[in-house]
Amino acid sequence: MRHRSAIAATALAVAGALLAGCGGSGDSGSGKSTVTMWTYPVIADDKQNHAYWDEQVAAFEKANPKNDVKVEIFPWANRDEALTTALAGGKGPDVAYLIPDQVPKYAPNIEPFDRYMTPAAKQAYRPAAIQAATVDGKLMDAPLLMSTEPLVCNKKVFDAVGETRYPTTWDELLAMAPEFKAKGYDITTYNGDATGSLNISFYPLLWEAGGDVFSKDGKSVTFDSPAGVKALTFLKKLVDGGYVEKAPITKTSPNIEQTRIAQNKVACSWQHLPGDVQQYWGKENVHVVGQFKDVKQVGYGTVGGLSIFKKAGDKDAAAKWINFVTAKAQMDAYDKKAGFFSPLAGNDLYADDPVMSAMEKTLDQVDVGPLVPKARDVMGVLAPEIQAALIGKKSPEDALRDAAKEAKFMTG
Amino acid sequence: MTVVTESRPRRTGPGVQASADAARRRADRGRLLRRTGRGLVLAVMSVVALFPFYALVILSLKPAEAIHFPGSLTPWHLDGGAYSTILGAQDVLRWTLNTGVYSIVSVVMVLLLSSMAGYAFAKKRFPGKEPIFWSFVAMVMVPYHVTLVPTFILIAETNGVDTYWGLILPTLANAQAVFLMRQFIKSLPDELFEAARLDGCSEWRVFVSIVLPLTKPVLATLGIFVFLWHWNDFLWPLVIGQSPDMRTLTTGIASLNQQNVPLNQVLAGSVVALVPIFLAYLVGQRYVQESVAMTGIKG
Amino acid sequence: MATQLTVRKRGLAPPEGRRRSPLARRDAVAGMLFVLPCFALFLVFRFGPAVAGSLLGFFDYQVGGSAKWRGLANFRRLWHDPVFWSALKVTLLYALFAVPTTIAASLGMALLTRRGFRGVRFFRSIFFLPVITSLVLTGAIFRWVFSAGGPWSTVMGWVGLGHTAWLEDTTMVIPALALVGVWSRFGYGMLILLAALQNVPRELEEAATMDGAGPWQRFRYIVFPQLRPALFFLAVIETTMSFQAFDSVYMMTSGGPAHASYTLVFDLYEQGFKYMDFGYSGAIGLALFVMTLVVALIQRLILGRDT
Repeated sequence: MRHRSAIAATALAVAGALLAGCGGSGDSGSGKSTVTMWTYPVIADDKQNHAYWDEQVAAFEKANPKNDVKVEIFPWANRDEALTTALAGGKGPDVAYLIPDQVPKYAPNIEPFDRYMTPAAKQAYRPAAIQAATVDGKLMDAPLLMSTEPLVCNKKVFDAVGETRYPTTWDELLAMAPEFKAKGYDITTYNGDATGSLNISFYPLLWEAGGDVFSKDGKSVTFDSPAGVKALTFLKKLVDGGYVEKAPITKTSPNIEQTRIAQNKVACSWQHLPGDVQQYWGKENVHVVGQFKDVKQVGYGTVGGLSIFKKAGDKDAAAKWINFVTAKAQMDAYDKKAGFFSPLAGNDLYADDPVMSAMEKTLDQVDVGPLVPKARDVMGVLAPEIQAALIGKKSPEDALRDAAKEAKFMTG
Repeated sequence: MTVVTESRPRRTGPGVQASADAARRRADRGRLLRRTGRGLVLAVMSVVALFPFYALVILSLKPAEAIHFPGSLTPWHLDGGAYSTILGAQDVLRWTLNTGVYSIVSVVMVLLLSSMAGYAFAKKRFPGKEPIFWSFVAMVMVPYHVTLVPTFILIAETNGVDTYWGLILPTLANAQAVFLMRQFIKSLPDELFEAARLDGCSEWRVFVSIVLPLTKPVLATLGIFVFLWHWNDFLWPLVIGQSPDMRTLTTGIASLNQQNVPLNQVLAGSVVALVPIFLAYLVGQRYVQESVAMTGIKG
Repeated sequence: MATQLTVRKRGLAPPEGRRRSPLARRDAVAGMLFVLPCFALFLVFRFGPAVAGSLLGFFDYQVGGSAKWRGLANFRRLWHDPVFWSALKVTLLYALFAVPTTIAASLGMALLTRRGFRGVRFFRSIFFLPVITSLVLTGAIFRWVFSAGGPWSTVMGWVGLGHTAWLEDTTMVIPALALVGVWSRFGYGMLILLAALQNVPRELEEAATMDGAGPWQRFRYIVFPQLRPALFFLAVIETTMSFQAFDSVYMMTSGGPAHASYTLVFDLYEQGFKYMDFGYSGAIGLALFVMTLVVALIQRLILGRDT
């Protein structure tokens, strides 16, 4: 009996200690500060991504013994959910990797970066990169990389079909589709994962058709415009014609190994980077066509950067860390590992790489996505409706109208 | 049936004897048939119940690309590559620790608090006892999801997101546990407690040295129930544990599931999460099954 | 069982007349102190949130403490929100598939394992294994079971029902999720019903057998009446559980394809923790609560007449 009560008492004491010992991070008094950064699989390979950041952290901490850095890597899927919930709870990172269409939503929580960036450093950036990182005249992050997602085709497939021209417009793509289908290939693919971003899937088509997601003032949605219907109808033609693989249209987080992209059965895609596909296609078979065109020639591309949140305890340390990893040598190494482009002016990282050089040429025709606070929320309601239209549950018009109705609740 | 068939032969000749044998045989065959039928159904259901576990374990021991049915389910050419990956690169150990802290601290606290309250509700007289007790019990009716957002707001406003206390505290107010403890302690004779009190034992002493030992069986049952519930809990840890360091096994595995992590690693993580539960079940099977009958019927 | 044993033995308890004795006062103080920690926790984490939860729908709440009265705006939005109605439909459909199937499987297994025979404990233990397994793990493996080329689509192909991957099909995704629900719940129902079956008087059943009552008649007139309260309980519990389906949906479909498995709790979760619209999330929560109550009342009318 006594024995048992001793156990209970110990357990209680342990419980109390645990509960008490896990309050705050408690490093304000020790003179050492920790910067926490959230990032994502920008370097797609998990091991390499970890290795890169471990190396940077070690180098930084060696140079700055008073500062600790903790890098936490999150999945792409539902990344805004994690960040908003954490920030709402007064937690979350000091520094995070953000892209322009996320920034307006977090702008109230972000510490402007202007005073941490030297004029010389600012000068060195491409104007487009700085422009994408600026909201209401304030610099919201330090750009780290630039990306572009043009149409990329698989030469192997074109050789097998005996086709020598590459499609550059919607009409050309639709015209070629049956020929590819007859030989057992898909002309393209559509990845409609509702937990993913529409920036890389549907929005490029919307922009190419001359439409946009939001009105100019950002107060209402316009994706249900005739241009939107046209874009969705085009997509539906591809699905209904049997020109694209069915599963990825609705699948959540599909594994690329299990798709026809990896099996060399897809001719072209505007949703895959050369880095994603070259291990399956062979680098020599990757052909960069450039941005797709209907009314307009445009594609998605972004400027990834690192932002400091206002809640950060030691903003100077956070800025020091950001400036450390965005120094040219570090940034070049990172961009090359990740297969993206440098945001610095005239900094060609891939002079001897024909595929990447061709990609780099498409950097000027990119749209970074809608820059309004509800941009990411609207994707959440639009993506399932696009799925509904593509699998034939709704007409494109109805699907877009229903999504617009939902979006209106959000934008107010 | 047997009575009838056995009473017949005595009165009758050999011919009838034979037909009675036939009847008995028919009856036996009927029973045999029923038994075989029952065995067959049970066997099929066992396969249905066990197959996912088998697949879980086998596929976690196969290379990432082995996902085909039935080819990938053969129990040979196994390797633990996925395990070394998740235990190395992913934070599975940390998640296990978090889950352990969440479950064990909660079990200890729930058992302590609910037996204290249950004892008071069962054996003490104080003003407002009945209304307080029944208002506790009424809280069972309020669905978890109605209180989810307000509880999150409460924890968020008091800086409890991403902390152990924010994770644990709100789960300690367990009405079912209090109800169960009160019912059990009520069934114990008053003399036990009165004698100790008249001997001059302090109230706390009475609780520790009499109430706790006497409630041991129900504490074990309740403890296992609470442990299972916390170990498997998902939604609350999902909204409270935001950084990878504060994930539990369930939310960690869910995050693996959302990344392009190969199936074998997701499943290896699942096996890690399953083993403790499985062992606890092997040891405390009786208590687990009892806990269902008890908390179920009473809840 | 408890009620039979609660006859208060008053031997050493203070007589009624001496209520205010020091011993009684000590009793009251100790009682209150023992209840206090629990009471505080209930006040803060149950009563508070329950009250707040029922009011939340009438406000627009931002973290940081700013609450704005919105009146019925959130409920009006609910009324006009196609996603809410679709989620309601999905939730009811899920319950419609999952609850009867779970109860049927539970009842079947309870009847088959009620009499002792060699290995009966073994079977009961096996059937209960899915119950103690987290739905997250269950979801992880069943995502594979239902995938294209996985066991389910292969077996369906063998029996001529086509090779569709159920989770990727808007009509089959709910039956698939419901099957996962049944798999993980029938062991629980089985144990509940086994406990209730102990109340069935064995002599009565044997007597009925002697009188020539068939298995169905015995079940209908002897077993079923005894099982009724347990079945009612099970129906309520399983319905509540199925209305709250979340973990498996989160793991297996994220509400897709095209909102075909987007349940009410999923909607509530996304409105609250993805879009941070706590007020609207609260309105959905209240709707879910009302729905649960109404269904429980209906079930009581049908099944629970005598309880």
